Amino acid sequence: MKNYSIKPPQIIISAFLITLVFLAYTLEMNLVILFNESLVKLVMNGVLVLSLIPMLNVGAGMNFGLPVGIIGGLLGMCLAVNFRMTGFHGFFMALLFSLIICALLGWIYGLILNRVKGREEIAGTFIGFSFIPLMNYFWTLAPFQNREMLYPIGGQGLRPRISLENYFNNILNNLYVIRLGDIEIPVGLIGFFALIALFLYWYFRTKIGRATIAVGENEAFSRLSGINIAQTRLIAIIISTIIAGFGICVYTQSYGFIQLYDEPLSMAFPAISAILIGGSTGKRAFIFEAVLGTYLLQSMYLLTVPIANEILIPELTEILRSFITYGIILYALLVRERRRNNG
Amino acid sequence: MKPILEINNLYKSYKSIPALDNINLSIKAGEIHGIVGANGSGKTTLMNILFGNPIIHETGGFQGEIIYQGKKINFKNCGEAILNGIGMVHQEFALIPDMTVGENIKLGREKTFAFTDRLFGRQYSFINRKQDDESALQTLIQLGISIDPGIKIFDLSINLRQFVEIAREIDRTDLKLLILDEPTAVLNKNDGLKLIEILKGMAKRDIGILFISHRLEEVQHICDKVSVLRDGKLVSQYERGNISINTLARDMIGHIVTKAAAGKREILPQPIITFSHFSVEMPGEEIIDLDLSVYEGEIIGLTSLSGHGKLALGYGMMGMYPVQGEVYYGGIKIANMDAKANILQGMYVLPDDRQGLGILADQSVENNIIFTGNQVKNMFRIESFFAISGFIDHSQARDHVDKMIQDFDIKCSSIYQKVKELSGGNQQKVCIARALTVDPKLLFVAEPTRGVDISAKEKILHMLLEINRSRNTTIVMASSELDELKRVCDRIAVMAEGRIFKILSPDASDEDFGLALSGEEGVAYEEL
Repeated sequence: MKNYSIKPPQIIISAFLITLVFLAYTLEMNLVILFNESLVKLVMNGVLVLSLIPMLNVGAGMNFGLPVGIIGGLLGMCLAVNFRMTGFHGFFMALLFSLIICALLGWIYGLILNRVKGREEIAGTFIGFSFIPLMNYFWTLAPFQNREMLYPIGGQGLRPRISLENYFNNILNNLYVIRLGDIEIPVGLIGFFALIALFLYWYFRTKIGRATIAVGENEAFSRLSGINIAQTRLIAIIISTIIAGFGICVYTQSYGFIQLYDEPLSMAFPAISAILIGGSTGKRAFIFEAVLGTYLLQSMYLLTVPIANEILIPELTEILRSFITYGIILYALLVRERRRNNG
Repeated sequence: MKPILEINNLYKSYKSIPALDNINLSIKAGEIHGIVGANGSGKTTLMNILFGNPIIHETGGFQGEIIYQGKKINFKNCGEAILNGIGMVHQEFALIPDMTVGENIKLGREKTFAFTDRLFGRQYSFINRKQDDESALQTLIQLGISIDPGIKIFDLSINLRQFVEIAREIDRTDLKLLILDEPTAVLNKNDGLKLIEILKGMAKRDIGILFISHRLEEVQHICDKVSVLRDGKLVSQYERGNISINTLARDMIGHIVTKAAAGKREILPQPIITFSHFSVEMPGEEIIDLDLSVYEGEIIGLTSLSGHGKLALGYGMMGMYPVQGEVYYGGIKIANMDAKANILQGMYVLPDDRQGLGILADQSVENNIIFTGNQVKNMFRIESFFAISGFIDHSQARDHVDKMIQDFDIKCSSIYQKVKELSGGNQQKVCIARALTVDPKLLFVAEPTRGVDISAKEKILHMLLEINRSRNTTIVMASSELDELKRVCDRIAVMAEGRIFKILSPDASDEDFGLALSGEEGVAYEEL
């Protein structure tokens, strides 16, 4: 990683994290278990964070419309569960369904964003906000057949939380877990994460990937060089949406429940916060920044819960989480504005 | 009569580049003082200083003294200048489109109801619209135009807007000095004459007028005194009676000793590209109804004052702005301006706005040089069964880039250095290297030496000549640096108001160029 410099958010979060680790140690918590969990948390949220990268790099800004991709992924999983596909087969089919649905949703999403060039972030926010109520109708009315997914009473409409217990719960988490003493390394889970990261690494080295970065950096230059701007943006947005769909699949198999209805609404902010903590400027992002940021943010989340329960009132965790998540986004917006003013 | 404004030893620099150098001017009350000069001669800076534009203060103020009505002044903002009785008519309209004519004219000087004045104070008082409109109408009648003061500005034609802007200034009873920045640029001949009459009337009321214009004929006609600025210096001043268009034109351009870098040669009039009724809607640089044939193998210069269209030609060909009319390239009509298709056909555009359009600032020298060739022509691609993915063959790319760096003497620490870290001249060389990578047959160059130091300038001009001579690349070079055009071009087309005004030989006199740039018919010129 060339030219990497540490910026204020990372310093603050790292300092906070070190304090937390120190506190956890003095409170005699099991640091090994916390470490094991932090690895799972990294991948659980990391794919969603990676999904932001293509859109950031094509110049479409931070993807506040992440719920679009998430809904695609949820729908993919619902289909897999509906057809009672279990185990690896089930998870693989969930990914495949998500891929198809997200490609379609991403295409529409991209067409809309191409019309609001320069204001993608605010447009994305409201596309997310308006898409969710629409999908709430869908979840209640769609003709799913599997009784395990439907409301137990009445038998119509999907439950807000669908258990994956009998399907592909923790399928990646439990894949090739290496145990070194108490330390558990979920190789399968990290492998899947690495695969997505590798795909992105590869993508940005292809011809279309290089065009993507050029469009993000200097659109007028790219147009003068004969690049089809709309098409390049569309491809990047579709890829972002597909990876977001995969991201929610990974998240869900780890979490154990498909969370429907308003749940996707709040998922964009921690992801965006993570990539900003990693050091992205909100204009250009690197894979390393996504990984670092996710790890820092998720570890912090992970540690605040037990510590706050121990020494403070429990409600404080939630307050701290929200404050940090939203505060970091605000910070990034301020920094960007200052840069713009300084030319 | 005593001078209303006196400027002594005025000096202003932006980042140690002088914009105005030792200017001495004096304007009497009731005098119309003309200021002429080419682009970058310092006219705008002078006006900004007089009208207290905050940009002057933000960039470190100015040196020297300005005495206005016997007092030394140094305005920090336009409001102070207005309070002191200075008015300005802008080239771009400073009118509020959503407000009516009356409101615009009376803005800041509204009549208010006395009762509410006392009740809420003057700032929050109700405006007496009826009185305002009546008074605005009086002013408009004084100007000899009859429009309803209730019409909103955006419903007016450009001509009328100019008059409303002038009406706003005339309406002020406290006006002592009026600055007009190219007031006739958007007016047709008749309206221009009307305006001149109004200005003469104002001068009779002892208002000092500073009149800035490119139209030398007007300046000659109206001004009591004319000052010519060139490169920030005051080069000459003429009193009424001694003002001649030809001397003004010559002074504007200045005589520079040039050695012809390119020898004269015969170019067969065989067009490589022909424009017919070609228009480009580039805001601020429109080309209107241009007819031009560019001959194969020549270097043709395009020059004009800024805003007269010289930059738009290349951008138009790359589909950056909407175009109209017909273009024949190698005898075949180009149906639509698609950058990719046209690059494949052998055209390439080197933009004038290097930072905005010319480079990928955050990427390496290597990426910048190979980008277009790679994207459009699939050069430097690994040829294997992976070819579809378009991975770069780095050794092939490195060889090419190394050769370019050597050939053009691009000063960089390595091919991986970011382009934004290079100097302007080296960035331009990177741009030219990228152009050469796609090996164009027809190269549009815009302001190739802008923001480039003197040694790099020579190198860049030499590169262009070299490309032309060795590869037989036809070059269309748009530049405001007449001196440079004269050195490299075979023909120089002078544009005025978006059209080709005249095509001159590079050894035509400065006077001819000055006249052509101002859109005036010259006495004698050689047509090629």
